[in-house]
Amino acid sequence: MINKDTLDKILSRVEKPARYIGNEINSYKKNTKEVKVRFAFAFPDIYEVGMSHLGLHILYNLLNKEEDVFCERVFAPWIDMEHELRKHNIPLYALESKDPINKFDFVGFTLQYEMSYTNILNMLDLGHIPLLSKDRKEEDPFIIAGGPCAYNPEPLADIIDFFVIGESEELILEIIEAYKKWKENNRTREEFLEDVSQIKGVYVPKFYEVTYNQDGTIKEFTPKAQRYPSVIKKRIIKKLDEVYFPDRVIVPYIETVHDRVMLEIFRGCTRGCRFCQAGMIYRPVRERSVDKLLDHAQKLVEITGHEEISLSSLSTSDYSKLEELVKSLINKFKDKKIGLSLPSLRLDSFSLDIIQEIQKVRKTGLTFAPEAGSQRLRDIINKGINEEDLINSVRDAFYLGWSTVKLYFMIGLPYENYDDILGIKDLAYKVKDTYFGLPKDKRKGNLKVTVSTSCFVPKPFTPFQWFGQDTIETFKEKQKYLGSNIKDKKITYNFHDPELSFLEAVFARGDRKLSKVLIRAWQKGCKFDGWADYFNYEKWMETFREAGIDPSFYANRHREYNEILPWDFIDVGVSKKYLINENEKAKNGILTRDCRKGCTGCGINISFTGGVC
Amino acid sequence: MSTIRVKFSKKDEMKYISHLDLMRLFQRAFRRAGIPVRYSQGFNPHPKFSLATALPIGVTSDGEYMDVELENDIDKDEFIKRLNDVLPRGVRILSSKYIKTGKSLMSLIEWSDYVIEFCTTDGISKEDMENCIREILKKDEIYIKKVKIKNKKETIKEVDIRSSIKNLNLLVVEDKRIIIRTTLKSGSKGNLKPKYIIDIINKTGNIEIVDDSIKIHRLELYSQKNGNLVSPLNCE
Repeated sequence: MINKDTLDKILSRVEKPARYIGNEINSYKKNTKEVKVRFAFAFPDIYEVGMSHLGLHILYNLLNKEEDVFCERVFAPWIDMEHELRKHNIPLYALESKDPINKFDFVGFTLQYEMSYTNILNMLDLGHIPLLSKDRKEEDPFIIAGGPCAYNPEPLADIIDFFVIGESEELILEIIEAYKKWKENNRTREEFLEDVSQIKGVYVPKFYEVTYNQDGTIKEFTPKAQRYPSVIKKRIIKKLDEVYFPDRVIVPYIETVHDRVMLEIFRGCTRGCRFCQAGMIYRPVRERSVDKLLDHAQKLVEITGHEEISLSSLSTSDYSKLEELVKSLINKFKDKKIGLSLPSLRLDSFSLDIIQEIQKVRKTGLTFAPEAGSQRLRDIINKGINEEDLINSVRDAFYLGWSTVKLYFMIGLPYENYDDILGIKDLAYKVKDTYFGLPKDKRKGNLKVTVSTSCFVPKPFTPFQWFGQDTIETFKEKQKYLGSNIKDKKITYNFHDPELSFLEAVFARGDRKLSKVLIRAWQKGCKFDGWADYFNYEKWMETFREAGIDPSFYANRHREYNEILPWDFIDVGVSKKYLINENEKAKNGILTRDCRKGCTGCGINISFTGGVC
Repeated sequence: MSTIRVKFSKKDEMKYISHLDLMRLFQRAFRRAGIPVRYSQGFNPHPKFSLATALPIGVTSDGEYMDVELENDIDKDEFIKRLNDVLPRGVRILSSKYIKTGKSLMSLIEWSDYVIEFCTTDGISKEDMENCIREILKKDEIYIKKVKIKNKKETIKEVDIRSSIKNLNLLVVEDKRIIIRTTLKSGSKGNLKPKYIIDIINKTGNIEIVDDSIKIHRLELYSQKNGNLVSPLNCE
């Protein structure tokens, strides 16, 4: 355990010390001498962000339910805390036992966002753990990683000992079992990696070799021996109702991003938007039953005391029994003064009824995500909504008393032209006209339309994975064009940093050559890159120059279908043939229907449920 | 419908929880404990309870108070037990009492009793320390500089705080370690932060104090009744 007095002095000097004290309600306390396996769940961002992540709570509880396993938490310390830790030579510690993370058997990172990779390095360094897998000794913990970004693990290949592909709750206990056996037999680190390489869904980068063509593309990606699988198939929970559900969620002391009960209603999404990675990698759709959800909600409210329940999924309105669920939840918790929130709701008239009921009179802003400004482009990305839907919903909302509307778009989508960008402006103006088209006595409040554009980042396992991202210059030009066209006091235009999205694109589709870039960038001081105040584009560019690596090779280059992509060895269930087909359909603006309305042949049925496809 | 007055402690690492966080902590603890707290009317109902004073971050206490309005009565020991079962280590309900609703808890509080521990750089004799305290108490006026930031403008005000110090006693002098006990004005009618006492000792006795050695602990809050200090639990 780290020195308590020193920690006490440090904590009185840092911002939000409650981030670093642990001991929250429902956190676990175990005797570290009595457990066989110590696991540090590491979230490469600050406490408030990490504690809002449902996956953390699931794995934390799943592991701690095992008597001989102790799972603790560790987050990235904020800049002031890092400074103090380094100054007093205190290693990064896990919150429950306050033991340094290098004393653990596993440090498991969750990869939610590419721009948190440098925080992983920073945390390892603060925890006195060698950054490179090959430099780790027998006494060092195994550094493992999972989460959505693990679907392209290659940029972290030199750093992470092994990856877990898919829903980790399905296989983490298999890894723990393998570890216990291995430890009893006193074998080498290398031998453990051999053992886990045989577990389905585990990827050990060092057992694979990559050769490159002259132009820098991959020539061959091969297992170093026949016993290593040449394809890593993702692992998923098949029946969500039967799976372990965390009924003992930690209640933070400080306000976190999602400071409420998170009720996961289903996984996966059937819509098939062509830009959306989550929509592809989390297939198939698996719903929880209303009964189970009501039961979970009851338990969670009792054990946390939270005053709000939020339904979590990729697209709340797609839950098949939403009306029944919402009504039951309202009935059950109304008298207990527990509120309900429904993010990711598609706004049709039914949803507006629900929102109105649960929000009572407090009218927070409404958010719509048309993603693209023109119907042509919305068809290209398979968004499946048209202008009429949007305007009707907006009109209903205005009638019901709303006056603040946020509209989300992407720029730089495939096959976009300047007319599509102007379409964003047109849509915003139509929303405004809808408001003023209402009889005067029906208009409540003061209209405020906010248009936000993010920069499109092509992601692995999407139909757009072959697409070259717009250059930073093009993004800026497009943002400027749109900005100069929006000239209305009622409409505010916000846009994202193209530099950050550029880097995100580099690491989203990067290969293993990027591990050294990450380390160099971190050495130069890059961390918290996802935080605008700390993101230093110049440092990153300097790093790429020094490493002799052209970042635009990863971000801006168009790929041919026959190119071997760095993540091709991972099987997410959706076939490459389907992705190609979808990309071809996109070119012609041909829509693909929602899978619920009939199979669209993505292949997930064959891969994961053995069905006909 | 009745109001229960509660005395509680806030110690150990819970000293790092802000006042606002503590409010949220209680709100959730009431729900976990199944305590029938009254809620405010309106669209955003809030449980009706109020804390006596805000304890600064980093200060521990054995004498915090709050009033909780209940929908229906429950036995006061049952109240304590149920709440303590669900509170985190560091926050403990010590005692409770049903009160007649009258003056708000906040307006009752007039004094705070603190124990302050600190280290001096070079060490100091008991005599010197006693002299320093005697000298402070002898003064008719003690001026301190209070910095106020209003509209981004910093104004420094000289304030006489002598009347805000009721007691100041030396408890321990042990090589470089010193412990004092002091009763200071607290509440809405005037408030003297305990850290100013350190400044005054430092200035009066010319004593160099190690910055991160200061530990402040609140012992008790007091109301004033006929010139006597009484606990908020006994002021009716």
